[in-house]
Amino acid sequence: MEKLLIFLVIAIVAIAVVQIVRVYELASKVKGGGVEETVTKGENALNANLFILFMIAFFGSIIWMMFVYGDGGLGEAASVHGQEIDSLLTLNWWIILPVFFITNTLLFVFVRMYLYNPNRRSLYFAHSNKLEMIWTVFPSMALAVIIIFGLKTWNSVMNPEEKGTIIEIYAQQFGWTARYAGEDNKLGRADYKLITNDNPLGVISKEGIEGSYAYLEKKIEGLESKLAENKVGDEYLLPDAKIKEMTDKLESLKRQKYRIKGGIDKGIEPGVFEMANNDILTKELHLIKGETYTFQFRSKDIIHSAWFPHFRAQMNCVPGMITNFTFTPNKTTLEVRADEFTKEHYKKINEFHNERMRNIGEPEEEVEFDFVLMCNKICGASHYNMQMKVIVETEEEFKAWIESQKQIDGGTPKYWGSQTVAEAK
Amino acid sequence: MSANHEHAHHHHEKESFLSKYIFTMDHKMIGKQYLVTAIIMGIIGIGLSGLFRLKLGWPDTKFPILEAILGSDWAPDGVLDSNMYLGLVTMHGTIMVFFVLTGGLSGTFSNLLIPLQIGARDMASGLLNMISFWLFFLSSIIMTFSLFIETGPAMAGWTIYPPLSALEEAQSGSGLGMTLWLFSMAIFIASSLLGGINYIVTVLNLRTKGMKMTRLPLTIWAFFVTAIIGLLSFPVLLSAAVLLIMDRMGGTSFYLSDITLSSGALDQTGGSPILYEHLFWFLGHPEVYIVLLPALGISSEVVATNARKPIFGYRAMIGSILAIGFLSFIVWGHHMFVTGMNPFLGGVFTFTTLLIAIPSAVKVFNYLTTLWKGNIILTPAMVFSVGMVSTFITGGITGIILADSALDISQHDTYFVVGHFHIVMGMSAILAMFAGIYHWFPKMYGKMMNKKLGYIHFWITIVCGYGVFLPMHFLGEGGMPRRYYENTAFPMFDHFLDLNTIISVFAIVGVLGQVVFFFNFFWSAFRGPRASKNPWKSTTLEWTTPIDHVHGNWDGPIPEVHRWPYDYSKPGQEEDYVMQDVPLGENEEEH
Repeated sequence: MEKLLIFLVIAIVAIAVVQIVRVYELASKVKGGGVEETVTKGENALNANLFILFMIAFFGSIIWMMFVYGDGGLGEAASVHGQEIDSLLTLNWWIILPVFFITNTLLFVFVRMYLYNPNRRSLYFAHSNKLEMIWTVFPSMALAVIIIFGLKTWNSVMNPEEKGTIIEIYAQQFGWTARYAGEDNKLGRADYKLITNDNPLGVISKEGIEGSYAYLEKKIEGLESKLAENKVGDEYLLPDAKIKEMTDKLESLKRQKYRIKGGIDKGIEPGVFEMANNDILTKELHLIKGETYTFQFRSKDIIHSAWFPHFRAQMNCVPGMITNFTFTPNKTTLEVRADEFTKEHYKKINEFHNERMRNIGEPEEEVEFDFVLMCNKICGASHYNMQMKVIVETEEEFKAWIESQKQIDGGTPKYWGSQTVAEAK
Repeated sequence: MSANHEHAHHHHEKESFLSKYIFTMDHKMIGKQYLVTAIIMGIIGIGLSGLFRLKLGWPDTKFPILEAILGSDWAPDGVLDSNMYLGLVTMHGTIMVFFVLTGGLSGTFSNLLIPLQIGARDMASGLLNMISFWLFFLSSIIMTFSLFIETGPAMAGWTIYPPLSALEEAQSGSGLGMTLWLFSMAIFIASSLLGGINYIVTVLNLRTKGMKMTRLPLTIWAFFVTAIIGLLSFPVLLSAAVLLIMDRMGGTSFYLSDITLSSGALDQTGGSPILYEHLFWFLGHPEVYIVLLPALGISSEVVATNARKPIFGYRAMIGSILAIGFLSFIVWGHHMFVTGMNPFLGGVFTFTTLLIAIPSAVKVFNYLTTLWKGNIILTPAMVFSVGMVSTFITGGITGIILADSALDISQHDTYFVVGHFHIVMGMSAILAMFAGIYHWFPKMYGKMMNKKLGYIHFWITIVCGYGVFLPMHFLGEGGMPRRYYENTAFPMFDHFLDLNTIISVFAIVGVLGQVVFFFNFFWSAFRGPRASKNPWKSTTLEWTTPIDHVHGNWDGPIPEVHRWPYDYSKPGQEEDYVMQDVPLGENEEEH
């Protein structure tokens, strides 16, 4: 169907061009070369009318889209600061939309009003200090309002009065891991050199360090024996480039081992292992409604961006750097699901979703609302599918969930309760 | 000046094909060379966008055309590969921003118009000018060539943030494709710097008698400030690129730190990817104005000519060009609000960024006042310029939202951004570029372009342009991130499925609609009717030159300038325009 449509469009355009050229060639034969230089009264009027028509369609389509898509589908912000951002956005729209409609209208209407008339001269009006002043001062005033309210919101969002419960969001190609600090509300330290399959975040713990030694030694041994196997006398059987690659890798592994020994292992202060032991790694992010969280973002490989659209929260995850964002969710997942707007909206989404499912021959399903964390900085092939489910729930529900998880040291977490959190702060 | 005089005496010599069309030092021919190269790059650039819009508009449909064009590795069974999707997006952005809107726009019109409008025989250095074009051409070839290699072109987005762009293991396009991208850009920057120096020197030194700085057409002011901005900011991008090349090839770690890939921990450590972002956007933001200022300059000229009315607030227009030029250097941080930068710094960048809205607003109001009580002739160039003013307003308005750091948290890197910058920078600049082509085509080729095709081209372009980019604001408000290969991984975006299809239909019709222009351009260049000397009854000096190009521009002496360039409909004059080389009458005030 689409192919046919595209083909039709091409064909129509081609035919139109050929026809127009033919007409044009005939016309220019009759009228002589000057025809392209003078815009006829008819052409002038036609284009001016088209501008007015265009303006109506332009404004009409914007207003139509505002009705159909204006709510965006995200609904009301589900965090305390998010509601501040939303009202700031509304204020901004109220300032700039009138400007948009008025200036665009003036533009198109002037074009229609002051069309060329050979019996008339335009007004020789080159400058006016008064007017220039007006349109420097008025935008400045409007911008002052925007800047003042904008900076007020920005400062209150980015410099929260108190830090909350700490959770680490760890990004890598192409997934997210959450790390809860556990009972002590202290995240264990981490180092990228300690990352192994058993210690995916490189947390500094006794097992983590031992594990990475074991991992590195195994790799070193493997490479050394492979090199030895290939050595006959002083010559290698493999091509030089391959050997160079292997020896480089070997040296790099050894270097890493010594860097762990001299850098991390040597400088372990008392209490560092304990901080890590009760950390909890999860593949879903569970939050308690009304609790303030300070998220700490890290990345394993390249820049990612943690984007929580429903909470109006976003922060880049940069390798070599720790970034932060603090917010307080104020609606549980179930509350949002029960909301009238969401019900209505998800009815629409399900219609679209299942129409698509039918088209691609997959079973229909019921899509439910969920908070989500997605990657918002280009990060490679599966960037478009780098997501983690976020669940906001009550304290009891959270307690049940967190106690079903596992600590890094293998123990079962015990919910720390809001009291403990307050003390730890 | 002596070189210029020599030109005047030698211009009757017969030139060979090679020296006239290929290794020419004549600024008019170089301008045309830039234009034709940019048009070809433009075909590639917008063609790529048509390909990835197929995937975004119809996520579940197989398109054999994709397999036919991209081959079975990148589009097996007509389904676009997700790596190649990023490759297409990256190359589309790179080609359009640098090769069409920077090289194409500045290169064409600065070269063509600076000597003609200031009354000079040629550029200050014809040789540098020639080298500048051939470097541009070479970089275009390398960039285009990178589309055809096995591991694919650069895929890290046109901003090529490291570490993604630095590590081949992170993405296949970060291999040879990225190397070619970087080398192509380095050559491009060299070309741009040579061109820029030339433009600045020419404007400062080679103005004809009477051509005071305050009598320069606004086009020249715009090209002049653009060249200065380019000269100050492009070297920073060059250094960013060189450091990235060293990180990739020399084992340094300017941008790399604490990285673990599947092959293990990276040896390089201690750098910062954020450093790259600072360096990149220190060019990247001025780049927006490198693209926009020439567009605004061209529009000023076209609007004044065709409204038969002096541009309103000439000095205020110059002032706002200078203000925009200056401010453009202290706003780059607004691209980085969510990188974890100090919130205080974010506040400063919000403030400076929003300040740019003031000179921009002045420009818009001045355009509107120029149209007010004018005597408007809607030539093809004029309709494009009116369209340009509209897109400048529409896109500028949404910029106010993105400049606001608090709001940027929830708009950053969503489709809202894509819609915003495509309207304010992409469409405005492209529309102005078309306006310039339709307006100065008679000067370039001595022929007229077809008017009716011009109108058709305009209406297709503006309707489709807005049709593509307006809805994107709503996608962005719905939280949809840009650069997603498909949005169906998140059912929460499913209600946008049909909106995305609509966008794609507009995009594809818009892309195909450009055929009207290509046809009109090349056909008119060869077979168009002959133009008269001053077809638009304009006041500036380029319309005093002979229709057939002569090396050295004027057969006789260079005309002397007696008045500013906007004496349209001056009371007490017989015609509704007075050319710049006409002496002031008795008791006539300048303006």
